[in-house]
Amino acid sequence: MRIVCPFCGERELGEFTYLGDAKPVRPAAGASEDEVFDYVYLRDNIAGAMSEYWYHGGGCRAWLKITRNTLTHEISSVEPAAGVGARQVAR
Amino acid sequence: MAEISWISRGPLEHVLVVGAYGARDVAPGISLTEVRNFDLIQVMARRGKGAELANAAKARFGVAAPDAPKAVSASDVTLIWSGPDQFLVLSKGGKHAIDILSQAFSQSASLSDQSHARALISVTGAKARAMLAKLSSLDLHPASFPIGAAAATSIDHTGVNLWRGNDRPDGQPVFNLLVFASFAVSLWHTMLDAAAEYGVDIGFLEELA
Repeated sequence: MRIVCPFCGERELGEFTYLGDAKPVRPAAGASEDEVFDYVYLRDNIAGAMSEYWYHGGGCRAWLKITRNTLTHEISSVEPAAGVGARQVAR
Repeated sequence: MAEISWISRGPLEHVLVVGAYGARDVAPGISLTEVRNFDLIQVMARRGKGAELANAAKARFGVAAPDAPKAVSASDVTLIWSGPDQFLVLSKGGKHAIDILSQAFSQSASLSDQSHARALISVTGAKARAMLAKLSSLDLHPASFPIGAAAATSIDHTGVNLWRGNDRPDGQPVFNLLVFASFAVSLWHTMLDAAAEYGVDIGFLEELA
């Protein structure tokens, strides 16, 4: 599997680290215990297109948001996660 | 009380043996040179200050800092892309040392002195590309990695900054590589293993050329 880093270009998988599902959103302060439990522990086991965070630690050290098909490993989109780099790509 | 003396030394000083290494029945296909003394500053834009940093860098160095994986040189400095809104400043003689640059970029960037935190190794020769191809997954063919190209990548699971300098006078390509000091010995041995079959000429420079 190869990932096209928006900053570095196409790189091998070994340069990246998988963080996990990009969907969960941190609950607001004061949220119920159930909501926090869900955010921290509960994950969908998706067979198909999934939004994920990856870290290009072996390269430019940018966080990326990737849409990957978990059945075929086809990557349909790569974009910088929110932050300094995201602004640069949008420029 | 015991006397402790901290002697400053290059990261490869105790493993680098000047002279020939590997195959002896051929003209050396590779030169490996450690550069021992240089100033290296990591510059990273603060949040939202990328454009301001770009202006300050242009004013300071006379050339625009790279905003893509490239290395650009002015007369006394090389600026090496290391990630979005960040670059390394490689120079010598203290002209672009940390105390001076932190004044110049005080409004736009955070700086970190890496002068003694990295080893700088220069790889050149007719077989340089063949040897690096064993270690790196990047395409280093001149068409895709021309002079001035740079990459933040991994070699042998070790993060490196790799860039192509100007060719040697005899036309051979020059690849420069910055690696964390504590990983330098490991990478050095890996490079020697990869280079041995081509014949290696090992040396070092006290100063950045």
